[in-house]
Amino acid sequence: MRRSQDFRLQRVGGQDLLVPLGPRVKDANALIVLNAAGRQVWELLAEDRTAEELAAALARRFEADPARVLADVRSFLDDLGRKGLLEP
Amino acid sequence: MTGAAADYGALVRSLLRRAAAVRQPAHGTFELTSRCDLACRMCYIRRGAGEGTADAGELAASDWLELARRAAESGMVFLLLTGGEIFLRRDFFDIYEPLTRMGLVLALYTNGTLITPEVADRLARAPASRTEITLYGATAATADAVTATPGSFAAATAGIEALVSRGVPLALKTTLTRRNAHELEAMRRMAGEWGVPFSASWLLARRPDGGPSSAEECRLSAAEGLALESEDRASADDGTERALREAGAAAGENFYCRAGRAAFVVNPAGEMNVCSLLAEPAARPLQTGFAEAWARVTGYVEAAPPASAECRACDARADCGRCPAWSMLETGTLTEPAPYLCEIARGRRDRRRRG
Repeated sequence: MRRSQDFRLQRVGGQDLLVPLGPRVKDANALIVLNAAGRQVWELLAEDRTAEELAAALARRFEADPARVLADVRSFLDDLGRKGLLEP
Repeated sequence: MTGAAADYGALVRSLLRRAAAVRQPAHGTFELTSRCDLACRMCYIRRGAGEGTADAGELAASDWLELARRAAESGMVFLLLTGGEIFLRRDFFDIYEPLTRMGLVLALYTNGTLITPEVADRLARAPASRTEITLYGATAATADAVTATPGSFAAATAGIEALVSRGVPLALKTTLTRRNAHELEAMRRMAGEWGVPFSASWLLARRPDGGPSSAEECRLSAAEGLALESEDRASADDGTERALREAGAAAGENFYCRAGRAAFVVNPAGEMNVCSLLAEPAARPLQTGFAEAWARVTGYVEAAPPASAECRACDARADCGRCPAWSMLETGTLTEPAPYLCEIARGRRDRRRRG
């Protein structure tokens, strides 16, 4: 999967957020706030990635247990998918 | 890793607080025109609808887009397009449509009268996050009297219905005057029937250019406004009141809102100012570059003198919405008490003391 092209990553006062573009405003009329891990996943999703690849990258960066990170990544991806932020 | 705030407004205010701390110009307002097809006596910005863009000294569409690009590079994320009446510009969509692809959170302020089905179709293809339309009454008789424009009520309601039927995110608001305050609850019901949020405010400012607007004749007395406020039916001015509450302990500062810290306004001629009501310092971002213009705006706010000794000593200060812009409009200074606001503040103080 990869990220939708219909959202732009923006930063306000050090806070990362995703802003919908064009027609997506109507069905995604909300700002989506990202923490540091969320931002890294979003940046990695510029290319096609699996949940396992994303979790491995995060586990390296945050020195965390890969199995636990994988559960968080899957939950995050589910959330992004529900909001229409992912392309298959 | 993510979250969509339940309260969108609270999220935006929180983001702008963070932006203000680092002087990021996160919120821009572009006043695309000062022309309007209505002729409200109380309005602070008004030129005839008949003047053309160039005749009215307005920036060209290409200039607005260049300005938006430069502002976005410097950190602008939120952009409000307002007027005058924005849809009087025949080239409105030449400005608007490219903006919808720039990753900005857009808002539009309009009176709704020029929103034809064709305009609504184009807005629906790429809507702003919020389009706000001002109602001037719940009946044609009242609204057309306030706007001094026969047919304006019918045109505005047709515009609202065109946007509602296309699912464009919409909010309605009203500016209360002596002529329409009696229709406040009827306007609220109208908004409810359309299923859109509604807010009402009653604080009317004089025109920044000193021109005739008759705000003083049109606005409610302090007592009338406070009665509405005490029943939670209308606020004096949403933005100012909220900024005042948020300022809290910092309320001693003369500029207490985000103006000049995270927000700026560009007038139709391309001058960058602190806010719509305070036409200073008239920086020229297209001539000097955005960063230099923003530095002038922040510098203006930081160098502003403190509020007058009278204001600082006043025991109604915590209840007062005075700001440098209001002082300038009412007294010609950045610092002195604005008598209308003093009356409002004292009324609030007394009400609070009575419990």
